[in-house]
Amino acid sequence: MPEIGRLAVCLALLFAGYSVVTSLLGGVRRRPDLVRSGEHAAFAVGALVVVAAAILLRALLQHDFTLEYVAAYSSSTLPTQYTVAALWGGQKGSLLFWVLILSLFTAIVEVQNRERNRALMPYVTATLMTIAFFFLSLLTFITDPFERLPVAAREGADLNPLLQNYWMMLHPPSLYTGYVSAAVPFAFGIAALASGRLGDQWIRTVRRWALFSWSFLTLGNLLGARWAYEVLGWGGYWAWDPVENAAFMPWLVSTAYLHSVMIQEKKDMLRVWNVVLVLLTFALTIFGTFLTRSGVISSVHSFTQSGLGPFFIGFLLFAIVVSGGLLVYRLPELRTPATIESFLSREAAFLFNNLVLVGIAFAVFWGTVFPVLSEWVRGVKITVGPPFFNRVNAPLGLVLLFLTGVGPVIAWRRASPRNLRRAFTAPVLTALVAAGVLSLSGVPLGYAYFTFMLGCFALGTVGQEFWRGVRARQAMLHESAPRALSRLVGKNRRRYGGYVVHVGVISVFVAIAASSAFRIEVTQPLKRGEEMQAGKFRLRYEQITTSEDAHLSRLTAQVSVWQNGQRIAMLAPEKRFYKKPQQPTTEVAMRSTLTEDLYLVLGSYDRDSDLATIQAYVNPLVSWLWLGGIFMACGTIITMWPAAAERRATAYALGGARVPAE
Amino acid sequence: MLTQRRFVIGAALIGAAVSYLVYAGIRTTSMYYFELGEFLAQRDAHVGEALRVKGFVRHGSMRWDARTSELAFDLARQDDSDPVPVAYRGILPDMFSEGREVVVEGRYQNGSLTARQIMTSCPSKYEPAKAPS
Repeated sequence: MPEIGRLAVCLALLFAGYSVVTSLLGGVRRRPDLVRSGEHAAFAVGALVVVAAAILLRALLQHDFTLEYVAAYSSSTLPTQYTVAALWGGQKGSLLFWVLILSLFTAIVEVQNRERNRALMPYVTATLMTIAFFFLSLLTFITDPFERLPVAAREGADLNPLLQNYWMMLHPPSLYTGYVSAAVPFAFGIAALASGRLGDQWIRTVRRWALFSWSFLTLGNLLGARWAYEVLGWGGYWAWDPVENAAFMPWLVSTAYLHSVMIQEKKDMLRVWNVVLVLLTFALTIFGTFLTRSGVISSVHSFTQSGLGPFFIGFLLFAIVVSGGLLVYRLPELRTPATIESFLSREAAFLFNNLVLVGIAFAVFWGTVFPVLSEWVRGVKITVGPPFFNRVNAPLGLVLLFLTGVGPVIAWRRASPRNLRRAFTAPVLTALVAAGVLSLSGVPLGYAYFTFMLGCFALGTVGQEFWRGVRARQAMLHESAPRALSRLVGKNRRRYGGYVVHVGVISVFVAIAASSAFRIEVTQPLKRGEEMQAGKFRLRYEQITTSEDAHLSRLTAQVSVWQNGQRIAMLAPEKRFYKKPQQPTTEVAMRSTLTEDLYLVLGSYDRDSDLATIQAYVNPLVSWLWLGGIFMACGTIITMWPAAAERRATAYALGGARVPAE
Repeated sequence: MLTQRRFVIGAALIGAAVSYLVYAGIRTTSMYYFELGEFLAQRDAHVGEALRVKGFVRHGSMRWDARTSELAFDLARQDDSDPVPVAYRGILPDMFSEGREVVVEGRYQNGSLTARQIMTSCPSKYEPAKAPS
């Protein structure tokens, strides 16, 4: 069976290569038959990769330890859901998983666009298949997921215990989905440059894909943060590790693109900039994959080296050279005469928001690669840690939050004093009231203070927009308030969906500011019955229990939580000892509320003295981070939901496609 | 045209601000990252500075006091030679044990490292740790 998987990968490689060549030839020579053939080959790649992935999954589920991959990342005692997750838990499997998503998306893109975008599609197919070709050649020549062991292993080495977690099942697939779907806008960008059709057509076509990619990057980052928070047990959710930065950078640039593209749609400006952002987002996804795979930059995730680094760098350079070359070639045609007229305009606010987002991405990039650069240039490795990223990004983040409030409501072209008064009186008053409340409640004048204040300002603009929209409908159409609200949102999905996303972003900002500025951390060794204080909570260590199964053994501390003389919870932080690979892990116990998380870690337990070291964190407002994520997801769904007219058009197109061409 | 020029200036200002933040950030927060061998060669030049040193936990050197959460061990080469004493106070990292590769972040003074943080090399996410040949 694995031989068939290997054959499928090899054949997929051949088909991908064929598809690139025929699509390009068909595009350049305007030969529809070749273009068709290239498309069919792309479908074949999709089918073959599905077969290969299914075979690897089957081998995992059947515990076929003759395969090196299965033996390295699973075992016969691993729970089924994690056996499935082992498909992307190791390097080889994750590369195959990557191609799987890419080829499925390619098939969807072909079906959606082969009638609509005939001039662009040959180059879109060629670009997507070039990417598939690269990954497939890694799988064929460098890291074969179907490699047999010389002697079958009796038992597997098992998945890393840190990855045996609910969130870890969801985090990689959503991040990969975000990464891979960024290839679709990239492919259309390349196609627009290659074919010379630089108008708005390609921008409109990829709008949903860009949003889709962005939303999965958002989700992937937040799930990763959630995983780190629950599993790593250091009380935080983001450590500016290179691997985290790798996922954060494309998100930043993609966010910039989603904003600046509105300027192009409305004003036909920033065409060059938008192309650059699309190309950059894709380049950063490849760079991110390179970071996580190569071990070039030492991170907690990647101490061991793998030989894939040079290939990724090579592919990245290839992508940059080709796309940069095309961009320079089309530069004269891309330029537009329109210019921004005033600083006080929506165009300017969006432009500055873009500069700040790209600036943050630049700072994160610089901090991430700095150790490597310093080693090349000066011969010594100099690292920068979380303090660097926090220092640089905190002020930039504040500017961004301010612009989040300004951008949606300031007038296009040039804001008149009247527009400014109308748009900003209420939000500024909200911010001032917030500042007063913050000062009175003794919040120190720091980043957190300004984040809360600007968050209220931005929230004020969003609230005002909803309020005015609903009031206008009520006045004109005599609708009830809920009906007016749902109609308002339904008729302007992009606009109001975007506002909901902004509410989520504000919530995330507030959560980050509060939990970094006001977190409490206490560590104390306790004997049975002894107590410790963590913020407003009193913790009593009651007892320790042990349990064991085939997979792992547990050491569990029972801690009762008291507040104002009342027992409010029992928490049970654990130490787990996995049997293979032999590895201890920390299992955090949490009591999460809207105002704060009480987060307990069993630091250590000493049998001789019966001392348990309890580490307690009180992290304010961390729930707002996940809540913000939910808002962002809802907002994105509202934005992407097709309007009635679009649904009719799609139904028509699908119906029309069924009619034979002859 | 005037506004156009003002925009270029505005963009340049943002660019300059970001560059300055990066520059100042690196100046004030960066630290050296040494392999143990490099550290041994130049440790006297970096007394009192924040730095990171990568090495192995020497067999038989680990002393952990649960009552005070104090950890003492020697950072050494893989064959246990060239030990440098390390003192640390806090929670013992999960993967910490004798013979393991660790990164110590802290300051070097009076012949020993005072650690602020100890990072253990978690067996990588994607590749099982291979035995060094």
